[in-house]
Amino acid sequence: MDQIKISLEHVSYTYSKGTPFEIKALDDVSLNIRTGTVTGIIGHTGSGKSTMVQLFNGLTRPMEGRILLDGVDIWEKPKEIGKIRFRVGLVMQYPEYQLFEETVEADIAYGPRNMGLDEDEIRSRVAEAARFVGLSPEMLTKSPFDLSGGQKRRAALAGIIAMRPEVLVLDEPAAGLDPMGRDAILNGICEYQKESGATVLIVSHSMEDMARYCDDIIVMDHAKVRMHGPRDEIFARSDELIDAGLDIPEITKLIWLLRSRGIDVDRSIYTVDRAEQELAHLFGI
Amino acid sequence: MKSIALGQYYPAASVVHRIDPRAKVILATLYIVCTFLCKNILSFAALVVSAVILILLTRIPLRTVFQSIKPLIVILLFTVIINIFWTTGDTLLLEWRFIRIYLEGIMQAVFMIVRILTLIVGTSMFLTYTTTPIALTDALEQLLGPLKKIRVPVHEFAMMMTIALRFIPTLVDETEKIMSAQKSRGTDFSSGSLIKRAKALIPILVPLFVSAFRRAEELATAMECRCYHGGEGRTRMRILKYRPSDFVAIGVMILLGAGLIVLNRLGIGYTM
Repeated sequence: MDQIKISLEHVSYTYSKGTPFEIKALDDVSLNIRTGTVTGIIGHTGSGKSTMVQLFNGLTRPMEGRILLDGVDIWEKPKEIGKIRFRVGLVMQYPEYQLFEETVEADIAYGPRNMGLDEDEIRSRVAEAARFVGLSPEMLTKSPFDLSGGQKRRAALAGIIAMRPEVLVLDEPAAGLDPMGRDAILNGICEYQKESGATVLIVSHSMEDMARYCDDIIVMDHAKVRMHGPRDEIFARSDELIDAGLDIPEITKLIWLLRSRGIDVDRSIYTVDRAEQELAHLFGI
Repeated sequence: MKSIALGQYYPAASVVHRIDPRAKVILATLYIVCTFLCKNILSFAALVVSAVILILLTRIPLRTVFQSIKPLIVILLFTVIINIFWTTGDTLLLEWRFIRIYLEGIMQAVFMIVRILTLIVGTSMFLTYTTTPIALTDALEQLLGPLKKIRVPVHEFAMMMTIALRFIPTLVDETEKIMSAQKSRGTDFSSGSLIKRAKALIPILVPLFVSAFRRAEELATAMECRCYHGGEGRTRMRILKYRPSDFVAIGVMILLGAGLIVLNRLGIGYTM
């Protein structure tokens, strides 16, 4: 039986409530995230993803409904919401703009220091986080403003990982990076997940990344959860994904094209490797 | 927070909104002069009527107008107290220990309140509520144009103002994002000693300044790419044109001023 790490119960959130500019960002959303899984959250722009992300660590308070972390309402003691933020680490969009310290090391240490840890513990956590994201020790002594874009992003990610959150939430962690920077960031997240057993939630627009890194997928559409399930199941329903205003992996498009021509291939294929196997099998190679 | 950014501009389709922004600057100036022309009850009454008509013409809800007056309440109270207790005159109304209140004092207080209120209402109706900040800087640039002859960099000032206004909402947005990011790393803005709270601002201010400079540099590059080289020979996208109705509005305002002078002469009751 899988354990539930974090769940939303009938959560609603409305911007500018009571004015003519009222926008419903989340409408009666309920979902459960299993402990130790990597869940991808996708949806078109304005579907409520970013609002949802800020609910998980208590940056915004839901107007209705509850958020449960290990079965406990995170807003049970509003004064202690700060502690929740150490347990649920949030990496916001373009996190490199949050860097401010004189050295990368000091910046990564900012979160752990706010947790009130002692210096030895902070040092070991910084080293560990830097290792996860692939920042070399000599980079740690540099000013964060002297790093390249991709390195800055990794330093910012390390700043959250150094708090050793049980749940790691990331809003578009790879946006605007080149393929190498992209892989470095996503691999860093994966490694942290594997070693710590943390529960990870990733908001992304890239179906290819979802296909590669996520166990479960949540599809958001117009302030509601449209689909939520294991990756295979979601990708097998590509027509619904397209209907929700989303793109599907290129390889899936090819598979569906083949199926529409009457060639019998497995319709839940979303990686090139699987497609290769399937086609090889088809030709009897 | 967004409301600060957008100023108090209240979009509506009214006659006042349609007046040329340059004319509105002139009208606001004339209206300020009018408030200082008033000297007796008749002229002040006329001033109040003109302010009410102005509010009605702009079609801005009274509640919104009241919102702009609210922060002034302290100043108004202060004015009332000073005028009532410190003005001396002929008609003593009340005497108690060292306090002496004269009829003149009360009249003076009422006049001052009306003057301040109409001043604020007049300028905000013509300028802040019905003119977008950008239109206003355009208008000021053109009205101050003659100063270029004595080498005042009018265009540069106007451009700086436009850019500043343009970036307020962006920076407000950015501040909110950075605050959320640092809160996620455990920054606590709301507890601890004053020094501790001030220190909590460093992680906000450093990234904010960095991004402001970055944006400034990007903007400068973008402007240079489009061959911006200052105001000389620059044509405008929105060309301001006076329409007959603008002159009518200015004419009405001058008539109001003349009317107030006439009413002052009638000399009924207390004059200030």
